[in-house]
Amino acid sequence: MRYILSLLIVLTLAPAAMAGYRETFQREFLSKPWAGGPIVEKSACIECHTSDIMKPAFRTIPDEWQGSWHALNEVSCHDCHGGDPKDTSLAMSHVRGFVGKPKYDGVPGYCGKCHIGIMKTYLESGHGKTLKAAKKGPNCVTCHGSHGIQRATIDIINEQSCSRCHSYERAKVMKQALFLTEKKIGEIRSSLKALKNEGIYTAEDEKAVFSTEAEFRTLFHTIDVNLVKDRTDEFTRKLDNIEKTIQSTFSELKVRKNFSAFLTLVFAGLAVVVALLTATYKE
Amino acid sequence: MWKKIKDWIEVRLGLDELVRTQLREYRVPKNVNIFYTLGFVAVVAYMIQALTGFFLLVYYVPHSEHAFKSVQDIMTKVPYGWLFRQMHVVGGNLMVIVLILHLLAVFFMGSYKKPRELTWVSGGLMLATVFLFCLTGFLLPWSQLGYWATTIVTSMPAAFPYVGDFVANLLRGGDHVSGPTLNRFFALHIALLPPILVALMGFHLFLIRRIGISSSPFGESGEESGPWVGYRHEQYHGQPFYPHFFLKEVFMCMVYLAVMFFFITFMPTFFAPEDANIQADPLRTPAHIRPEWYFLAPYQMLKLIPNKFLGISVQVIFVAVFLLWPFIDTREKKNILKRPFLLTVILCGLTLWAALTFWGRY
Repeated sequence: MRYILSLLIVLTLAPAAMAGYRETFQREFLSKPWAGGPIVEKSACIECHTSDIMKPAFRTIPDEWQGSWHALNEVSCHDCHGGDPKDTSLAMSHVRGFVGKPKYDGVPGYCGKCHIGIMKTYLESGHGKTLKAAKKGPNCVTCHGSHGIQRATIDIINEQSCSRCHSYERAKVMKQALFLTEKKIGEIRSSLKALKNEGIYTAEDEKAVFSTEAEFRTLFHTIDVNLVKDRTDEFTRKLDNIEKTIQSTFSELKVRKNFSAFLTLVFAGLAVVVALLTATYKE
Repeated sequence: MWKKIKDWIEVRLGLDELVRTQLREYRVPKNVNIFYTLGFVAVVAYMIQALTGFFLLVYYVPHSEHAFKSVQDIMTKVPYGWLFRQMHVVGGNLMVIVLILHLLAVFFMGSYKKPRELTWVSGGLMLATVFLFCLTGFLLPWSQLGYWATTIVTSMPAAFPYVGDFVANLLRGGDHVSGPTLNRFFALHIALLPPILVALMGFHLFLIRRIGISSSPFGESGEESGPWVGYRHEQYHGQPFYPHFFLKEVFMCMVYLAVMFFFITFMPTFFAPEDANIQADPLRTPAHIRPEWYFLAPYQMLKLIPNKFLGISVQVIFVAVFLLWPFIDTREKKNILKRPFLLTVILCGLTLWAALTFWGRY
């Protein structure tokens, strides 16, 4: 034991004497999310908006954003509002592209920087035309909200929301026209999740669902029920094809499971046979 | 015809004599237990890895832009590609488990003691080589899981003064994990590590046959004849290697294969969670990324010790003590149950290792 102790003392003293040598490593290593560090990088926007100098109404914005679909997809403050989140003094400088809060009728152009297709169909719709002509009427945040925005679902179309501006009747017909396609998309997503849990690579199918869904969402921002009804078949066909691929993957998965289960039984059986054989060789 | 061929071979190779002297007349101690078979299971596990690895190599493309796609093609398009890949992935992890169990069995039975110090050292080096196999192989599918786990592990050497950055950059082929890292790891995984492991394995097996298998201090003991003052081959009067002990080894190999296919059937994602199915993206750090389970304890230790250099030095000391253990513990008493202090230290060490692994995981 004395050998171990002396070896430990000698080998531990040297590094202990050099403690603090690698601060850079500590900074680089421990500050990363994978080393248990903070997941969200330092942001001047968040620091300022959560501090006491901010108006109470603006202080809740970071919290709203943290729980949003945008935050989940790493769309941060500067992606919409511009500016430089890494530089506190120039965070809100126009030189760094800060655009601040848009005017009411400027919201579609604001969101449309990313949601290009949806903006186009929205502007051609009754909603968009009203906004353009009267500078009022529903814009994106009227239905979707702003900082706390959630993943859009068909439930956004509801009596309480739509009847703020008009009767629910037309919106209800639209919701019914969308229902089956939306349901199918939901089912396909669940199937893809189930495949993923089995270790199957689903990214290609997910991409196909995403693009079909995006196209479909673009379509119903026209709020033209007849157009949605006319094109529903087209989307159903696309989704059917994806579903067919998923079903064949499930069948393949079943074959694989049965085959490897068979091999498990074969080797377990062989183990029993060998164990019995061993018992016959007692001296 | 068959007899003629057999006679032709017999005249030239003397197979009958070889089988008689090396298998039937070769005897192992009476008290060998099931843990003695783990070395053989590890050899079979490595052969399975080599064989499945060869099939994967036929379709795998070692390039950062094509690696992920090629692995997905193996899983979906190549006939039975999924089986070979799953056997390789699950087998790699099971092999580490078998080696750790083998190591613990050897330790608790005191089989590393004189004159078997070199057998222990070569075994320790083999374990290190297998860890290198795992580290290099983990990156090859070019998934988020492998990419970020490799980023963590290759950051660890940077804690060393003077040479740390050099070692880390040498491993990665740059400041961060990228295409050159994949090329290096691929070359190591298929060209350099296999001959090193086979050579160490050959030396390990040579020593076992040359000196004779160590007898267990438990059960019917005392078969070894006196102190080791000069070289001698240990002769036992126990049971014949073939078929008695060989059948035990075959039994354990069947159990190993049954366990492997059990995992493939019922827990296919146990060793390859969701991030293993997402292509590596150097610009997107997953929130809960961590190294492979066998590196979790050193990783967690490195996170806990405030000074990183001290943290990594403690680990280097641990590895050095582990490798040189037979030269440190030179007492002849093999039965660890009669050495309560050592037993307590080892059990505490194992508990700490398990706790750190669990802590690092959750």
